[in-house]
Amino acid sequence: MTKFLPALSVLFAVVATAVPWGLPADATFILPLVMVMMVFCWRAIPGAALPPAGATALGLLADLMSGGPLGYWALMSLTAATVGGRAGSLGEGRDLGFHWLIWIALVSALACFGWLLASLYYFRWIDWWPIAFGALASIALFPVVLHGLLWIRHGRLGPERSAIFRGGS
Amino acid sequence: MRERGSPLFRRHRPSWRAPVELLSFGLYFLCAVLLVLSRIGHGVIADTRDGLVDLTAPLLEAASFPAIEARRAMERVQSYVAAFDEVDRLKMENEELKQWEWRTKLLERKVAHLRALLNAVEEPGLVFATGRVIADARGPFVRSALINLGRQDGLRIGYAVINGDGLVGRTVDAGGAVARVLLLNDLNSRIPVLVGPAGVRGLASGDNSTELQLDFLPDGATLYAGDEVYTSGSDGVLPRGLRVGVVTGTQGAFKVRPYAELNSLDTVSVLFFDAPALTRADPPAKGSVGALSAVPHVDRTATTASASLPMPTVIKHAGAASGISAGGGQAQAER
Repeated sequence: MTKFLPALSVLFAVVATAVPWGLPADATFILPLVMVMMVFCWRAIPGAALPPAGATALGLLADLMSGGPLGYWALMSLTAATVGGRAGSLGEGRDLGFHWLIWIALVSALACFGWLLASLYYFRWIDWWPIAFGALASIALFPVVLHGLLWIRHGRLGPERSAIFRGGS
Repeated sequence: MRERGSPLFRRHRPSWRAPVELLSFGLYFLCAVLLVLSRIGHGVIADTRDGLVDLTAPLLEAASFPAIEARRAMERVQSYVAAFDEVDRLKMENEELKQWEWRTKLLERKVAHLRALLNAVEEPGLVFATGRVIADARGPFVRSALINLGRQDGLRIGYAVINGDGLVGRTVDAGGAVARVLLLNDLNSRIPVLVGPAGVRGLASGDNSTELQLDFLPDGATLYAGDEVYTSGSDGVLPRGLRVGVVTGTQGAFKVRPYAELNSLDTVSVLFFDAPALTRADPPAKGSVGALSAVPHVDRTATTASASLPMPTVIKHAGAASGISAGGGQAQAER
């Protein structure tokens, strides 16, 4: 069961993106980006397994539920999984700050790419503010989500968390 | 000093062998292909998608139930807080509406008399079904919602979707038990409208924001903020006279603020308006009956229309939702 925790938690986030929460128009990008961030975080947590193919499948499910073009969130999830896998895990001397910096760079790139892709898809400039707002919110939420995923992974935060968040110090 | 012996700090060497790289490349390629096929609207993609959306609908319906209930609870708390002010406001509004009721009855009599003089043909009544929003689709591309009504309920692509406040959008995908509604403010939404008492023609276009752009107004058209906007029906798809919103902004930059709160939709009604253009684009399945010609085949709790509608009206109260359903839908249908 523990083996499937990463996929199940991301699946939960995918379903949450489609639930009618009644969020304002500017906040529509936050939940999908949290889903992408979860993929990135799972790839960084030692011992957790979320293969790129799984991340792509979950992204496709998000596309399906959102009614958007198929492949958009799949591409975002796949990119996050690739970068998350290459960034090295939290146990390899990298600390929270390091991964946070990588996420900031990644989400900035994804937001720009996503905006350009959306504009290309419709042959018109898409409103950039919801995407930027979603990216900023995901940057602010990064430690919270990472803490949450560690809690899901280990059932407690305990000494491993303190070791991780001390990082290389 | 770090504990290198701890399993937490054991080095996980990623193995970037050729098959893994190839798989990654394949996945990126697959995403790109899907995007292109989705853009050109490939039939296989659309059919597969409809089927999969039908499959995931029960999961979405179950997942959205707590969210909808939580939202309602919040709204209830807010209404309790503002109850006294609301009662005062409603009393005043009631007095005003009584005056309007009297005037409306007078006008109805006049219209009936004039129609009789003109020997005007009676317009057919609109059949409609009411369902619940089970999923909300947001993102850079779409503003849409998934509702728990589908082809089994007689629904087809292109039908207008309303709630008690006004027009919400139109159906763009229809599966067996669910359908996707393209909201008014979606980037792809274009609604031909009439504006104000003069009935100035225009086009209300969505741009993913909360308000709609008002384009293609005739030169020298005089509009004012607060003018009513309603559907013109000139697209041959939507019925004429559905309330859309009010004009905001100033000369040269007019916008339309929709009456319907598109961010928090709950219960909506689908109008079964079979315009010729729509019938050509999405012909009815064999054995099914046209909505305007008869009541669609439905296997559910159905009530016949109230006396004010000229033709039988089907109302589906999906799930536990009540909300506007019959009243709002009927008011809109009558318009």
